[in-house]
Amino acid sequence: MINILKDIINNVRENNGMSPLENISENMDLRADFGFDSLDLAELTVKIEKETGIDIFADSLVNTVGEILEKISK
Amino acid sequence: MKEDIFFVSKDGTKFTYHKLMEDINNSSQLYRCCYNPDTFSIFIQIITSIVYGTNLVLLDYDFTDKELNSLGIDKNELISYEYINNREVIDFRDIINKIETNKDWTLTLFTSGTTGLPKRVTHSINNLTRFVRISDKHKYDIWGFAYNPTHIAGIQVFFQALLNRNTIIDLFNLNKNEVYKRIEEYQITNISATPTFYRMLMPIDKYYPSIRRITSGGERFDVNLSENLLRIFPNAKLRNIYASTEAGSVLESTNDHFRITNPQICKIEHNKLYIHNSLIGLEDNSNYWYDTGDLVEIIDENTGEFVFISRDNDVINVGGYNANPSEIEEAICKHPSIAEARVWGKPNPVIGNILIADVVCKCSCTEKELREYLRSMLQDYKIPRIINFTTEIEKTRSGKIKRKLL
Repeated sequence: MINILKDIINNVRENNGMSPLENISENMDLRADFGFDSLDLAELTVKIEKETGIDIFADSLVNTVGEILEKISK
Repeated sequence: MKEDIFFVSKDGTKFTYHKLMEDINNSSQLYRCCYNPDTFSIFIQIITSIVYGTNLVLLDYDFTDKELNSLGIDKNELISYEYINNREVIDFRDIINKIETNKDWTLTLFTSGTTGLPKRVTHSINNLTRFVRISDKHKYDIWGFAYNPTHIAGIQVFFQALLNRNTIIDLFNLNKNEVYKRIEEYQITNISATPTFYRMLMPIDKYYPSIRRITSGGERFDVNLSENLLRIFPNAKLRNIYASTEAGSVLESTNDHFRITNPQICKIEHNKLYIHNSLIGLEDNSNYWYDTGDLVEIIDENTGEFVFISRDNDVINVGGYNANPSEIEEAICKHPSIAEARVWGKPNPVIGNILIADVVCKCSCTEKELREYLRSMLQDYKIPRIINFTTEIEKTRSGKIKRKLL
């Protein structure tokens, strides 16, 4: 699952002129480590929902990769 | 005695009120357009233009050449200035006097029009400072500055802080951790921002007692969000503002229900909000009542309480910024591989609405390639974040693109 998420995160990064990441880990922060702003996070939610059917921010926003994995593995 | 700080920039540089006055006195060039990436310099330019009584045009620094062109602004205008000297600002009172007496001074801003072309809106100083409250109560306010300094909400916060000689801490475009660090470090008391800005501060399990006032505006109020905000900022009072680039702040409330308290400036007709032209920027004076395009639903006939439900035009609110789908479609169709495009907004939990483009290609084109191309044409928030490649876009009987109904 983390690899699917890595591909989505890299897709968002590359679409916005950022370089892709070799690896991601559970404790990485979406804003501080990936440099995602509100528009990037919005794009991420739609792309994750398309892939998994889950709206990860439906209740509230999350901070880390681990928190996303927890939501999409439920 | 408290430090007389006017502004703390993103890199932590502190500018005092003394420095502000020194910079105004040392200015030798007065530009007609403010096209500047630096918030402190924007503030200096605004105040200097007031002191010299010269009108100012305020532009987003991320406008592309194409956008500047469509606003009717050429590059020469951006660099045109007049020489100034010898009008010393002696003390802070001098600045206040100029603001109070230079009633003819105007500030021009731009907003997405409803017809495809961006709209120029010119405000008088009275309009911009209409909601400013000056009193001893506000003497020690410390403002977290979270709006774009070239937009009306940012300008209103700037005047509120300046006229009370408050400190402004720049929070615009900072990430969550940096925002909280600054709230704590500078003991910020007031923040005015969009729901998107506040959503980006979530989740957090700490609380920040220094905040006394949270103001939300620019997007539809988010009730769940407000509960979370009051948990994080337990000493804060919450205010929701309805405002527009054309009129500035118009209505306020403590939740998502509004009431018209002054029927001379606002009215509801056929479930739509109209604003009296006395509140509207100077170049929009042709109509007596300005049609906001905002549709409302009356909740209580007796009290007149209402909520905003949607808009009657195509403008899409993206995190507090208005995007016009026609302008974006036109930019997409300029790409040599694209035959047709339709842009629409899909509700999104982070930014209210996310822009989606359905495109029909003439020859092959990737999402990355198209978005890269659009970056040279449009401001970032106008670039669709999702591109759906399709073979056909539905048309109306008259051959226009059928707008997507959500």
